Amino acid sequence: MISRGIKLVTGSIFLITFAGNTLGQDLNGFDIMKLVDDAQRAANDSSFNRMQLSSCKFGVTDGRITCAERPRVKSLESVAKNYGPELMDTKSVTITIEPAAERGVGMLSFAYDETGRDNETWLYLSALGRVKRIASGDSDEETEPASLFGSEFTTEDTETGKLEEYTINLLEETTTAGRDVWKIEMIPYEERARKTRYSRQVHYIDKERYVGLRSEMYDQYGKEVKRLMASRVELVNDIWMARSLTMMNLVTNRLSNMAFVEIYTDLDIQDEFLTQRTLTDAAYRETELENLRAQLN
Amino acid sequence: MSRFCKRAGLILIFVTPIALSQQEEEPNLGGEDILSDEIIFDDNLFGNVFDESPNNNEESWLEGFTVRVSQQFYGQVNNHSVEPLPGFSFPRKAEMENNRLGLNIRYQNAFAPGWLLQASGQTRAYWNEDYEYRANGGKIDAEYRVNEFFLQRSFEQNSFKFGRQTVVWGETVGNSVLDVINHIEFRDMTIIDIEDARLNQWMVVWDYFGEDSNWSSFINLYPEFNPAPVRGSPFFFEPQFNLTDYKRDGDAIFEVGTQWRKSFDLSDISFMAAYLYENQLRYEDPINNIGDALAKKNDFILLGFSANRAIGRLLLNFDLAFSHNVLADNFNLPGISSLASPLDLEKDQIGTSFGFEWAPDNDQSLSLGIQAQKVLDEDKGLLPGQQLVNEGVFGSWLVRYSNIFLNNDLTLASTLQGDLEGDSLLAMLSVNYTIDDNWTVEAQVISINSNSNSPLIFFDEDLRIGTTISYSF
Repeated sequence: MISRGIKLVTGSIFLITFAGNTLGQDLNGFDIMKLVDDAQRAANDSSFNRMQLSSCKFGVTDGRITCAERPRVKSLESVAKNYGPELMDTKSVTITIEPAAERGVGMLSFAYDETGRDNETWLYLSALGRVKRIASGDSDEETEPASLFGSEFTTEDTETGKLEEYTINLLEETTTAGRDVWKIEMIPYEERARKTRYSRQVHYIDKERYVGLRSEMYDQYGKEVKRLMASRVELVNDIWMARSLTMMNLVTNRLSNMAFVEIYTDLDIQDEFLTQRTLTDAAYRETELENLRAQLN
Repeated sequence: MSRFCKRAGLILIFVTPIALSQQEEEPNLGGEDILSDEIIFDDNLFGNVFDESPNNNEESWLEGFTVRVSQQFYGQVNNHSVEPLPGFSFPRKAEMENNRLGLNIRYQNAFAPGWLLQASGQTRAYWNEDYEYRANGGKIDAEYRVNEFFLQRSFEQNSFKFGRQTVVWGETVGNSVLDVINHIEFRDMTIIDIEDARLNQWMVVWDYFGEDSNWSSFINLYPEFNPAPVRGSPFFFEPQFNLTDYKRDGDAIFEVGTQWRKSFDLSDISFMAAYLYENQLRYEDPINNIGDALAKKNDFILLGFSANRAIGRLLLNFDLAFSHNVLADNFNLPGISSLASPLDLEKDQIGTSFGFEWAPDNDQSLSLGIQAQKVLDEDKGLLPGQQLVNEGVFGSWLVRYSNIFLNNDLTLASTLQGDLEGDSLLAMLSVNYTIDDNWTVEAQVISINSNSNSPLIFFDEDLRIGTTISYSF
């Protein structure tokens, strides 16, 4: 059975994980996060990714985070492209490759940058025999945002833009994971606060590579509820990006790791591929995916 | 019943060690430790996925296969009696109904640019105490069936699919008035969702993907009808005359339909029209009461509209159907018709199904669907003393709820369905546990309550329990 909460992995993954090249140093918190956000969008434009999404209950053994059970693993392929006058909206489609029971499940998502405009998602399940709209909507401080494929990543964690809805403070310069970082705090304004479960976020941005290495998310009571760890930071198409992202839910002691096994950008992706046709027309989808794969070689 | 319970217990004993064997040494789950900066996180935890070389090689044709093997036990466990008419009752004993091994195979291969072959089929082996085993004279029986089998060709804005397939219209999940194109088979109580009951037919489907909207049209080259109950199944009763399939006698019958669909911001709408045959055949007594019952088909025109609207995490669904010249008595069965029911009377009918789906969080979902239909001009064509089987507004309602536990491994789902008159209630509770990416085990409890105004009176106070273990790869 497919979880009602699964949600398409948008091409725009994770606010803090991609970054541009080194820039000037006289930047405030907003400037830094804006650069990270812009770079993220650029990195995802016309992209094709192969991902492995692993989730498990976790604990600590001998000072290391370990899985307390065999991880549940999903293999996904995702195609994304930016749209709109300033390429601020993203359309993406994700197809499940594994496990076998979910093979062929496809999701189409339109993520809008515009404040107050809900994103849209459609799902295709062969058992249903048709495309089905999924009401994902916005969350608020009481309701949880939709999960990505049943993982600890949520739609809120994937959002780009809308930085104007936050007070952004540069707290300090420090180190984490052996790297010099800016510690930046984001607190939602009143309107944004009504749509988020996080009352405060703290991001650690690599000062040299402009990559987020760690994020902490706090609930309305000031308790840290989730933590995002980034690793395997590599230069991909002149953009530093983290290929391994791990979201730890500190309330449920469950974590999810998203590994970007293969990343390809600047591909020639037909607009028609990011429509409902890709979900229902498997002959068309496979042909277009072959065309994309041909561009990779 | 005791033997049935023993078998179910055996399965659970068999499954439990698999689940337990996956539990490794229990780590410390203390929150304070985890928040410490001294704690090391190593993403090799998930294997050396990054060390594998990118795989852009040609895929083997064998990779298109998905296989599921399952063993199912099911039984009616409540010893009781049913009284459909005052003074007439019969016993319902507890007994095993299903003891069967199933193999489902699905194959999909995009073998050339723009071409795709898709097929799926199933085979079942009926073991000792299965109702098919008993109907087969106490011998192990097997059955094979091709479900999907179509070739698809897509080019430019068009896609053509030739072969066995389904066409699903309507937005309301589970009981849409527009979901009438493919015939269905509720063979036994293990199939209560229409998604599982829908059967494939030989069709040509043409989809046109326009810039702003899509068209989907079909021609059904060999319309089929709901099969009669299988001998031995819970739905089978010994009819006065054999219920056979429709005898075509060389008739070239077909169905045709088209749908236009468009998406707006947070909403989808579609209009549709079709020339169809009613999936349920009408049975009449044979001439001179000799031979098999006569199966009569009926064609009709369907006009429909459907829409949905997303509001936050709430999705509203709406379907509307107008049916021209449907039979007012298509559930007629030989031997039980009466002069008070009209014969071969064609009527227009209007129906709607509507409801919502709501997911308050990532683990829970709730849906409600209500289907309501009404025959127009009810009295027209009726002889004095005759009345319609369905007078006024008739229909059904369906509620589904599911909740996910144990890190998505355990799904608890329940279904309630009944008719609008409140004459019957079917309640189903299921627990599905995913042991790993291959193994799942499911247990179900189904209870039925009905009064004598509903056909479900024959299953009143039935209580069924069952379990299915599956392996997919």
